[in-house]
Amino acid sequence: MSAIAEAVADGKLPGRVWMYADYHCNLACTYCLTESAPKSPHRVIGRERMLEIADEAAELGFTDLGVTGGEPFLLRWLPETLASMSERLPVLVLTNGTLFTRRLLASLAPLAHRDVAMQISLDRPDPDDNDEMRGKENFRKVVEAVPRLVDQGIEVRIATTVESIEDSELDRLCALHRELGIPDEDHIIRPIVRRGRAIDHDLGVVAQQIDVPAELTVTVDGAFWSPFGPTVHDGVVDTDLLITRTTRPLSTPANALLRLVGERPEGSDVSLNIR
Amino acid sequence: MPTVRLIGAEQAPLLARPFYANGDPGPIVASLAQVPELLDVAIPFIGTALGPSSISWRAKELVIVRTSALLECRYCVQTHTAVALDAGLSREEILALRGEAPIDSVFRDPRELALLGWVDAVANGRGAIPGHTTDAIHGLWDDHEVVELTMLVGATMMLNRFATALQLPVAEDTVHRLTEEDLL
Repeated sequence: MSAIAEAVADGKLPGRVWMYADYHCNLACTYCLTESAPKSPHRVIGRERMLEIADEAAELGFTDLGVTGGEPFLLRWLPETLASMSERLPVLVLTNGTLFTRRLLASLAPLAHRDVAMQISLDRPDPDDNDEMRGKENFRKVVEAVPRLVDQGIEVRIATTVESIEDSELDRLCALHRELGIPDEDHIIRPIVRRGRAIDHDLGVVAQQIDVPAELTVTVDGAFWSPFGPTVHDGVVDTDLLITRTTRPLSTPANALLRLVGERPEGSDVSLNIR
Repeated sequence: MPTVRLIGAEQAPLLARPFYANGDPGPIVASLAQVPELLDVAIPFIGTALGPSSISWRAKELVIVRTSALLECRYCVQTHTAVALDAGLSREEILALRGEAPIDSVFRDPRELALLGWVDAVANGRGAIPGHTTDAIHGLWDDHEVVELTMLVGATMMLNRFATALQLPVAEDTVHRLTEEDLL
């Protein structure tokens, strides 16, 4: 058993390896960590590289894969790639949920009943409040897409990213996700993190290394401590949570991460509930 | 103006953070921090090669200033002129090492002259080291010292080209001190 596999098995290292599929997005949310927008540089990691990472992660002893962006589903080849990746390890893909036209939904057929879950952002139970930060029509598109995905046999989770939410509003949001077919255990609530565009809008909590789980995250710019690491501000990728520029072989950043985790007090990533 | 962005403490990558623990780590660290895994191994190596060891501080600064002058590295010459002063070298010795006065008009010690001949042959030459230069250093320095001093020349040359290519800036207090000492 490798040192990585041992650390994952012992719970010292989180089992999921994340990859940033791209950095561009059809939306431009006010709290976006990566300043993603339609005209952002794409910085696509590539289909072949994603499959390589999946292989290497499995060989090293990681247990799960995560895909984020940008908006990953802007990449037309993504569904088939996710299906191939899921043959190695279970995959969680983060999406804004606004691109699921009939055509894209049809292309998701290979993902049905596989180990691929989608995490879709839905922040508020009211369209206007939700769309204020995420963009016009976001709410409508998401509430239309979620039941269709569920009907297609795709596991869906809902992620709510907010500075704060009142109990009554949260109750209505939970009623909504249940109505859409998403059980409570697949709904996560997390704070806005003060990085990327959130800084410009004076939003969110300041998160440092100690506040976020040590989930190895691979991008075209290198490997980072967490998916909250490769953020972008003023067009420049942050380096404060950079581990290594080398990502191939994956064992290079993975071993460096393991070393860094050993220097961190146990349980120190739970205070802000950043997931 | 440096060729690349120098990374400040607030953006220091995780493996680089220990090098920022005591304040501004200087432009070599701040540039290497762009590639943390390189920084992580390069700085301990540089520290071992250029730092305190069984070779005297004076001898090491003779090597570093002379090599940097031969390779015309403004950053390393100015930075290590200040260090050489701290190591006890005289203004005249430093000027001679920098090529601004004849070496043999200032240095008299046969051991130091053999060392400087070795530095000139290693840093400034091509191909094999001339036999008389090798004989001179072998007679006056032990094998382990020759190894360490030769590695010091090589490490300094690496830094010379790195600092020159990336146009690393000399610290303001160093510039101020050298101005006062008329050694800029």
